[in-house]
Amino acid sequence: MYNRKIRGPLVEGNKTFSQISKEILAPMETTPGLWWYIAFGISSLAAIFGFYAIYITVSQGIGTWGVNNSVGWGWEIVNFVWWVGIGHAGTAFSIFLLILRQRWRTSINRAAEAMTVIAVMLAALFPALHMGRVWLAFYIFPYPNTRGPLWVNYNSPLFWDFIAITAYLLISISFWYLGMLPDFATIRDRTKSKIKKAVYGFFGMGWTGSSHHWIRFESLSFILGGIAAVLVVSVHSIVSTDFAVGIEPGWHTTLFPPYFVVGAIFSGFAMVMTLMVIVRKIYKLTDYVTDNHMDAIARILVFISLIMGTAYSTEVFIAWYSGNEYEMFTFFRNRITGDYTFQFWGMIVCNALIPQLFWFRKVRRSWVGLLMVSLFINLGMWFERFNIVVTSLSKDFLPSNWVSYDPTYIEIGVYAGTLGLFAAAILLFFRYIPIMAVSEVKSVANIGSKKED
Amino acid sequence: MNRTFKIGIFDEEGKFISSIKSLQEKEFKIYDVFTPYPVHEVFHLLKRKSRLPTAAYFFGLFAIIAVLAFLYYTSVISWPIVYGGKPFNSFPSFIVVTIVLTIFTVTIASLATFSARSKLIPGRENTIFDHRATDDKFVIVVNTDILDNSKSEQIATLMKEQGAVEVLDKEFENINA
Repeated sequence: MYNRKIRGPLVEGNKTFSQISKEILAPMETTPGLWWYIAFGISSLAAIFGFYAIYITVSQGIGTWGVNNSVGWGWEIVNFVWWVGIGHAGTAFSIFLLILRQRWRTSINRAAEAMTVIAVMLAALFPALHMGRVWLAFYIFPYPNTRGPLWVNYNSPLFWDFIAITAYLLISISFWYLGMLPDFATIRDRTKSKIKKAVYGFFGMGWTGSSHHWIRFESLSFILGGIAAVLVVSVHSIVSTDFAVGIEPGWHTTLFPPYFVVGAIFSGFAMVMTLMVIVRKIYKLTDYVTDNHMDAIARILVFISLIMGTAYSTEVFIAWYSGNEYEMFTFFRNRITGDYTFQFWGMIVCNALIPQLFWFRKVRRSWVGLLMVSLFINLGMWFERFNIVVTSLSKDFLPSNWVSYDPTYIEIGVYAGTLGLFAAAILLFFRYIPIMAVSEVKSVANIGSKKED
Repeated sequence: MNRTFKIGIFDEEGKFISSIKSLQEKEFKIYDVFTPYPVHEVFHLLKRKSRLPTAAYFFGLFAIIAVLAFLYYTSVISWPIVYGGKPFNSFPSFIVVTIVLTIFTVTIASLATFSARSKLIPGRENTIFDHRATDDKFVIVVNTDILDNSKSEQIATLMKEQGAVEVLDKEFENINA
């Protein structure tokens, strides 16, 4: 059971229910400060740069990128995997913690799910652009067609990937939206503005909070949570098979699926932390996302960091132990030493070493410490994907094919654009959707608080 | 004909639960209760059950069979192609697609069932007995159509005894729920 003496109350400050509704919905009911407009402006500029880069890519083709015959996958696949990884935050957060009945998730899961939905949408952009002729992207659907009918290749991980990402996106949206129903009803019933009442009433679907609604709501949450948990594990495993079934040295390894899944959860939790550290400061929600919650995420991160460190050393060990000269070359001459040392050691330092700072209580309790470490993890996870994608491709079996790879400004533009869109979408989310699941926070308001003692 | 209701409003979960119990002891039938968050004791007291898990199981069963049949049809019957010397019916690599599409189907079908069964549809306006139920109040609703005045007064006193903040009488022409 939950031990207050050790872990502190889930919601601090002995709040009444209406106080909870009021405080959490406050960012939606007040006009945002100047910072919001500045942040939105900057992210929109980045997004416009991104749209320009996408326009160039689509109108002129992927020849505008730095990819070539040897390094066929460049920043786009790096960024695709990076975003999908971040997209594991929401589901990992709400679903695993829902199934494990960890109730401290309640104040964080809504934001984590929002990140998931946005990140997965942005991730899906990259492979679509990478197809070159994006207007023919529908060819990947297995639909009856006039070309045979020629069906798709079900043996290909690239097709699995397409199915998995699509399903994951739709399920994340469903799960996110389901959780919002009671909160939309709360807004509908509290607001005095007619427009808000109509809009949130429409999206609230006539939720009344009756016992019939609640029992089916809970039952559906567990069904969706239970089956989506399988999906969390399978989506990134499938992404890893995109690489693992290839014969490139450094890719062809059975370690990949678990290594990718853990890495995805790592980057997802890091992004959640980055976001929550900022949000709880700006919106003064420290009573809901307490220091103990941040502490719990930090503990999870330090544990996952150890797993990542183990995975990195296992990869290197197996490369040596296999006695395969190509594997040896890739790891020892092209990663640990060689042209891409910076990315390799960046990955090790950011993912395996820096998070070890979370062993210290002082770091876990300081917002600067949490923010810095979580940003380093985000960066480290980007290096990891760069390391996997680019080093293996740039120097494989035939030295005559060896090529170095540098992104063009178009590729950088697409990436900057997705970062801008992400930030802009998150800012809009703060403004129009309750940041936390109000009803869920109410249900845990008295757990571990003084009222219960 | 208008339907009449006694509506008891509570601001604490404990008082609300004990009021449900005392009403049930006197064998009054509770029409429904409304809460700002799920209260599990209510489900036991009002004998609310959900058959969604059973439905989801059958959706899953249907999806597995349908997906495997589709994969078999397209890659063995409709237009067989040899990929890397593998058999047409390369079952092991069908498993991934089957799992993902099964999860997908179960999600969509369960959501649709939830929406239809709970009558939660975009734009729908269900009857709101008291609008504070989605904020901070716990609401008990008893239908008093067939009860005489003394009985309904008894309900009101019972609820007040258990600590209701307010007991209201409301009439509705028709109920959307």
